Amino acid sequence: MDQLPARPPRLALPDAEPVVALRGLTKRFGKVLANDQITLEIRPGRIKALLGENGAGKSTLMGMLAGRLVPDAGRMEVHGREVRFASAREAIAAGIGMVYQHFMLVEAMTVAENVLLGQEPGFFLSPRDMERRVAELAAQYRLDIDPRARVGDLSMGEKQLVEILKLLARDSRVLIFDEPTAVLTPAETFRLFEALWSMTAQGKAVVFISHKLEEVLAIADEIAVLRSGKVEAELRPEEIGSKADLARIMIGKDVLLEVDRTAAQVREQVLDIRNLNGLGLTDINLDLQRGEVLAVVGVAGNGQKALVEAVCGLTQPPKDTIFILGKPWREYYADPDWKHTLSYIPEDRLGLATMRNKNLVDNMLLTTRKGFRSGPLLQKARAVADTRELVRKYDIKPGRVRVLAWQLSGGNLQKAVLARELYREPRLIVAEQPTQGLDVAATEEVWRRLLDARDMAGILLVTGDLNEALQLADRVAVMYRGRVVAQFPVTDKGQVDKIGLYMAGVTDF
Amino acid sequence: MPALRVIKRDEPWRGGALAIVLGALAFSLGAGILMLAAQGKSPVQGAVVLWQGTFGNVFALEDALRKSVPIFLCSLGVAVAFRMQVWNIGAEGQFALGAIGATWAALSFPGLPKIVLLPVMFLAALLAGGLWALIPAWLKLKLKVSEIITTLMLNYIAILLLDYLVFGVWKDPTSFGFPMTPEFSPAAILGPIGGTRLHWGFAVCLVAGVGLWAFFRFTLLGYELKAGGEGARVARYAGLPYGFLVGFVMTVSGALAGLAGCVETSAVLGRLQPSLMAGYGYTAIVVAWLARLEPLPIALASFLLAVLRVGVENLQLEMQIPAAYGMIMEGLILLSVLAGQFFQTFRLGRREG
Amino acid sequence: MDWGILVALLAAAVQSGTPILFATLGEMLSEKGGVLNLGVEGMMSVAALAAFLTAYFTGSPWLGFAAGGLAGACLALLHGVICVGFLGNQVVSGLALTILGLGLTHFFGTPYIGLAAPGFSKFAVPGLADLPVLGGILFRQDALVYVSYVLPVAFWFFLQRTRPGLAVRAVGEMPAAVAAAGLHPLRLRLFAAVAGGFLVGLGGAYLSLAYTHLWTNGLSAGRGWIAVALVIFAFWRPGRAVAGAYLFGGVMAFQLRLQATGTNLPSSLLLMLPYALTVLVLALSAWRGRGADAPAALGVNIEPEG
Repeated sequence: MDQLPARPPRLALPDAEPVVALRGLTKRFGKVLANDQITLEIRPGRIKALLGENGAGKSTLMGMLAGRLVPDAGRMEVHGREVRFASAREAIAAGIGMVYQHFMLVEAMTVAENVLLGQEPGFFLSPRDMERRVAELAAQYRLDIDPRARVGDLSMGEKQLVEILKLLARDSRVLIFDEPTAVLTPAETFRLFEALWSMTAQGKAVVFISHKLEEVLAIADEIAVLRSGKVEAELRPEEIGSKADLARIMIGKDVLLEVDRTAAQVREQVLDIRNLNGLGLTDINLDLQRGEVLAVVGVAGNGQKALVEAVCGLTQPPKDTIFILGKPWREYYADPDWKHTLSYIPEDRLGLATMRNKNLVDNMLLTTRKGFRSGPLLQKARAVADTRELVRKYDIKPGRVRVLAWQLSGGNLQKAVLARELYREPRLIVAEQPTQGLDVAATEEVWRRLLDARDMAGILLVTGDLNEALQLADRVAVMYRGRVVAQFPVTDKGQVDKIGLYMAGVTDF
Repeated sequence: MPALRVIKRDEPWRGGALAIVLGALAFSLGAGILMLAAQGKSPVQGAVVLWQGTFGNVFALEDALRKSVPIFLCSLGVAVAFRMQVWNIGAEGQFALGAIGATWAALSFPGLPKIVLLPVMFLAALLAGGLWALIPAWLKLKLKVSEIITTLMLNYIAILLLDYLVFGVWKDPTSFGFPMTPEFSPAAILGPIGGTRLHWGFAVCLVAGVGLWAFFRFTLLGYELKAGGEGARVARYAGLPYGFLVGFVMTVSGALAGLAGCVETSAVLGRLQPSLMAGYGYTAIVVAWLARLEPLPIALASFLLAVLRVGVENLQLEMQIPAAYGMIMEGLILLSVLAGQFFQTFRLGRREG
Repeated sequence: MDWGILVALLAAAVQSGTPILFATLGEMLSEKGGVLNLGVEGMMSVAALAAFLTAYFTGSPWLGFAAGGLAGACLALLHGVICVGFLGNQVVSGLALTILGLGLTHFFGTPYIGLAAPGFSKFAVPGLADLPVLGGILFRQDALVYVSYVLPVAFWFFLQRTRPGLAVRAVGEMPAAVAAAGLHPLRLRLFAAVAGGFLVGLGGAYLSLAYTHLWTNGLSAGRGWIAVALVIFAFWRPGRAVAGAYLFGGVMAFQLRLQATGTNLPSSLLLMLPYALTVLVLALSAWRGRGADAPAALGVNIEPEG
């Protein structure tokens, strides 16, 4: 990660009374204990980071504070008085607001309308008035945004500013941010940090949920580490010896996620993209051989989706730009085989890769059905048997095949999708954010399977997780605004260090 | 603030489907009977007459069996389309077109032997119904026009077309001005099975029902149709020929309704006349939804709603209650089933803390 | 060219299009809030009966008008509760409502077939009625038509320049944002559905109080479905809805005149005109590719949180 700005001097508040105190909060989802007796305090003028890996319980905890979830046990106090929130509305009224990973903005309306929704002055509205108010508020906190803009036209970073404005317009005293930098370029991240410092300087309390050690160390005044639903430790940045120490507390293991990777044998070309112009992309030239992993990285929304959809047949690219297994796109997709071809593992596990209300057998058949046909009929019995075998081999819990897709956990669902696609013995695998939302164990397993799959396929790995890319890939391509701005082998340390700059579109140094 | 909150179930409540339908039926019947009082009729008498006209009377049950034939066939078609989230509301119009097709065949070739004429009539009905459904399908695929409204509009047009034909070119010159075609020749009539009072339309139902069930269970195309119900995106991901599937499903849907029209015209009326249109196409939608789009429950639900129709006819006879009363019941049944289905996915629980 | 005939035809178009306009705006309001209501046909029918009976028994057409609106609102409430409260499939619920509504109308209305109730009659607006051409078309109508002139403007103003209007628009696009803003998405949806239903009911009332003063069966004749189609044709904007409503009004008026003058065309084929035109209009709108105007959360029920 590149240079983060120096922190301006902290507001010298004496150890003030906490704005919010959480005492013994507990929350269960079915059989999963997401939060186990958590006790924490949040003070004004400070940035508290909630650190933990995926599934540690950070979002659940803040969900309760923000009123979206109801605690099963324990209490919450605001300014010393116990509160119970039946809805986000009540939490907001109590001064607690949350900026979520998925923005809750009405794309078709303007910034001003979105910010003042629920806060409008009076019964009759004047757009000009609303825009003026929002402009004043933005100026006060030095946020650069045009109140008249249509939200649908804004970038991710600008949309996040709108979310912040929403909270500021409601005089929120506690602002909670859930993984806010996931969708930002480094420059936008810097602007966000400045905004956070500006807010704490004016007495707000900020909670910053993250799993990224670098950022937490750069921005937090206090760090609370969550693991498996409990508070593992509470520290100040000065108390931390090294990143490794922090990582150990976070994961319980000594080492950051790493995997052993031996070079695989590189064979024939399976994907060739030449001078692809169109679909929001410019001058894309990429190629992939069997046996290697090419990681495409970049901030979400810079063309990766368009690229993946074109390669995977969901949208049609211009003529003679994409060649799959040696065939031009149109010819390949006219009648693709089910086996020894292209396998797509999408980011959207439940909505695209599987049918949520159907069982594992039906989901298995989704892309392998032609392998079970005899004439017009389907060999159901064989499909059930093969599915059982896959469930056993990949240890997909629960061990039944009649379970429905939506009942599986994220990790097990991804394993099921992987099992199905690898069953097809593909020559080309397109894997999109394959470990998003998975815990450490599942992530390691998925990585292992993908690396093993190099024996039969070339893998196009599209991911926003730089660590994942660097662990798995042989070569890396960085995308920015629909272009590939850099392409290099992962062994080139010099280039690897510049990835952050490439992701922000800086190409000349 | 209520102390109850809504909790999503971990697994759908399996036994709920039957409980919900029974509950809905009971509620709707009760509400409907009470409504009689608003028109100055005795609800008690209404209930008695309803019973006498349905389960209290063997002839009524036989009549219901006969009526369940067109409802069943139309409903099969509706279910096939609904499974793919293609909202075919046009069963009524496709039914009419099927009848028109069959009539055309019957009137054009009266001299053919039964063994040839009947299949020709069936074929004409299947084609007519299928093509009538293909129009909205084409509009949906090519122009993304909502099939809900187009199928509905085509219902109105189909009924008017039927009127046009029986008032005009196909009118029986000997009918004293009544709008109807001449009687079909004996070769065009679907007769009774052996010595019973049931006609061969039942055999058609059996073949269609079993055929469809087997189709969905055992064939590749049947699987693809089930998968296609998840939407166009998943279809594209899995390489399903979504456009073809939509067209296929609508054609089959329309063909089944057309078949119903043929059977009803041939076996029950023996000629084409406007009284053929009794709203079976709309009842079919209620049946399909009640039966959760599955063939065997559709058969049961078709019979139940046919029984209801017969009972309402008795109410009309004995208590001069307008026939539209049945629509009130059907509407209430569907609404209460919709409300009840909520409880298959969610339950109410106490709020803690 | 006899201008008189043209003016008369256009005036008839306005009159005939007015119930459709009410219904279209009503459905549009419901859809703006995210609730697809296919029960418009049944609602117009019931509202027509309610309006007729109220006017018949109280002697006041205005009370009848209000009663029609109320009837529409009640049925919309039923649909709203099923969809918003019980997460019922919006398409199927609307259909059920139509079946129920048509049944209720026939059941309760049959004894009154052929009877007349006090209704609204045309009168000339002093001054404006003497304008050339426009005067004859627009200002020699009944009171409800004059009410309908204000409606599209009021509709726009409500949605664009008032607080509840903004909230309704937001809930039809993204209910999650509305909840995050501290409002009640479910209540807003219900409100949009019921308010829309009220307008639809007014359209139904027009049919039995102004369009005719007699009660017959089948008064709505598919106008409800045309209204649903017109919302799409109008790209969810009130201005275009006016154009669409008067267009269909014109077609229906034209069709009546043609039948009255004893043409050779069989009446059945003539009657097909509005329905065929609806399909055509939908195809053309879709061809222009403006599907993006639909409220993003239309037809999608709001699931309760954990």
